[in-house]
Amino acid sequence: MTARDGETVAAALLAAGRRVLRRTARLGEPRGIYCGMGICFDCLVQIDGRPNMQACRIAVAEGMCVQTQHGIGTQEQAP
Amino acid sequence: MKSRSVIIVGAGPAGMAAALAVIAAGLRPLVIDENPRPGGQIYRQPPTALEIHAAHKSTNPLVRSFCEQLKCMDLMLGAIAWGIFPPRHVAVVHEGRSQVIETQHLIIAPGAHEYLPPFPGWTLPGVMTPGAAQGLVKTMGVRPGKRALIAGTGPFLLVVADQLHRAGVEIVGVVELASRGEAFRAARGLLANPGLLWEAARLHVRLRLARIPIHRGHVLIEARGTDEVREAVFAPCDADGRPHRSQARTVEVDTVCAGYGFVPRIQLAQLAGCRLRFTEELGGWTPEVIEDFQTSVPGIWVAGDGGGVAGALAAQLEGSITGFAVARQLRSLDEKTFLSKTGPLRKRLARLTRSRVALDRAFRLRPGLAELADPETVLCRCEELTRAEVERGIDAGGKDVRTLKVITRLGMGPCQGLMCWPATARLIAARTGKPVAAVGPASVRPPIGPIFLGDLLAEQPATRVEGHA
Repeated sequence: MTARDGETVAAALLAAGRRVLRRTARLGEPRGIYCGMGICFDCLVQIDGRPNMQACRIAVAEGMCVQTQHGIGTQEQAP
Repeated sequence: MKSRSVIIVGAGPAGMAAALAVIAAGLRPLVIDENPRPGGQIYRQPPTALEIHAAHKSTNPLVRSFCEQLKCMDLMLGAIAWGIFPPRHVAVVHEGRSQVIETQHLIIAPGAHEYLPPFPGWTLPGVMTPGAAQGLVKTMGVRPGKRALIAGTGPFLLVVADQLHRAGVEIVGVVELASRGEAFRAARGLLANPGLLWEAARLHVRLRLARIPIHRGHVLIEARGTDEVREAVFAPCDADGRPHRSQARTVEVDTVCAGYGFVPRIQLAQLAGCRLRFTEELGGWTPEVIEDFQTSVPGIWVAGDGGGVAGALAAQLEGSITGFAVARQLRSLDEKTFLSKTGPLRKRLARLTRSRVALDRAFRLRPGLAELADPETVLCRCEELTRAEVERGIDAGGKDVRTLKVITRLGMGPCQGLMCWPATARLIAARTGKPVAAVGPASVRPPIGPIFLGDLLAEQPATRVEGHA
């Protein structure tokens, strides 16, 4: 998908119609943007294999791979 | 270890004003902010390909003045001040590395975050704070949804309703806890500040022209949907905020913005060891202020909403006074200049306070809000604890933060209790009959912001803070 330069991951996904950013570990609930200022940790996604990344704080980048986070996520590669 | 005379954490209205005052007195502050650009949440600016040091286009005079002085300060943006180690060592991660910097004076200006009492459906995607929706529209140019209900209490709801409407979001209504009479009395309180009254009047006219209904004396009781919010339910309520459920109305929406005022971000002040006190009108626990926004710890100052919620205009005045007071203590400003500079600021602040008191009374939190959650409503969004589980924990002896944490894990997730504790403290108070003040603020420990362990490993030069863990 495409996004504008400087846009956060959360904003880019929202603009593309994606509002469910993760599923919770215990109840499997969907979560999305909530506080929008980096303090609620509800918008966590996996970015380039790294879990627990804040979609509302991180700017999009060319070639970035963003995945829905399930539970605590999975570490796919050493950063 | 590096050492500074003045560090300011937060580049919102209070932090920017403090920096300008300190600079005016000939000092060079280090300003630390977590966002990519200065302005705080209220004057948040869109991202830009422009260098921060290049000419600025912000329409806000304070942001413009701040950006004109960039060469007179050191500025760390996108930086997380994750700890304060007594007496005045600030731990900060900036550009992937951690530093601990000692300072003679620390001005904490972290601002506030929005308060929401948990209600059924409040964790659904599409339910967000008004500030989050505003940020999406203002800085990202992205609409939070197509059809929104704005609910909660306070003038900020109207501001956001107007902004979302102008951005092309259909606003089905504003649900305001305060009754028509209370709102009218609040407006009378604005007479002390005609500028604010004028702004409020213009806002009301714009909403009326846009045919956005304001349901005063109503409360949002539920958000419904499976994977995203699809419906919102609200009802008229009594003076305690308890809904008359038989008169509930359901509206189809894809977005709910809910906010009930603000909570000061006190975590840095807590880590610095500042004494706290509970003042409902100021948003809960705030650092006790001895004189001119200096806390109980000498050299630690708190300005703006982080010291008690009073809004951006008051924050700016507080920041200026704090900056000048710090300069006076550092002997960069003589007594006479200090008094002549701060005198007019104090007068304006006193005038704003008169209006704020009227607003606080009208747009106050009410006991009924603590009863909105169902037994299966999640209270702690991180650890996913339901109201029933939390109440079992309270009944089992969790009548204070520490014990409740140990029993239930409430507040032990990544937000560190920021999102759940203000409401939980009220729940404990209601259940035990204690005053909220006696339940105590959530405990904190560093790191209070999101940092990577790798950033700490990259700490250079090697620093060590003697005697503190």
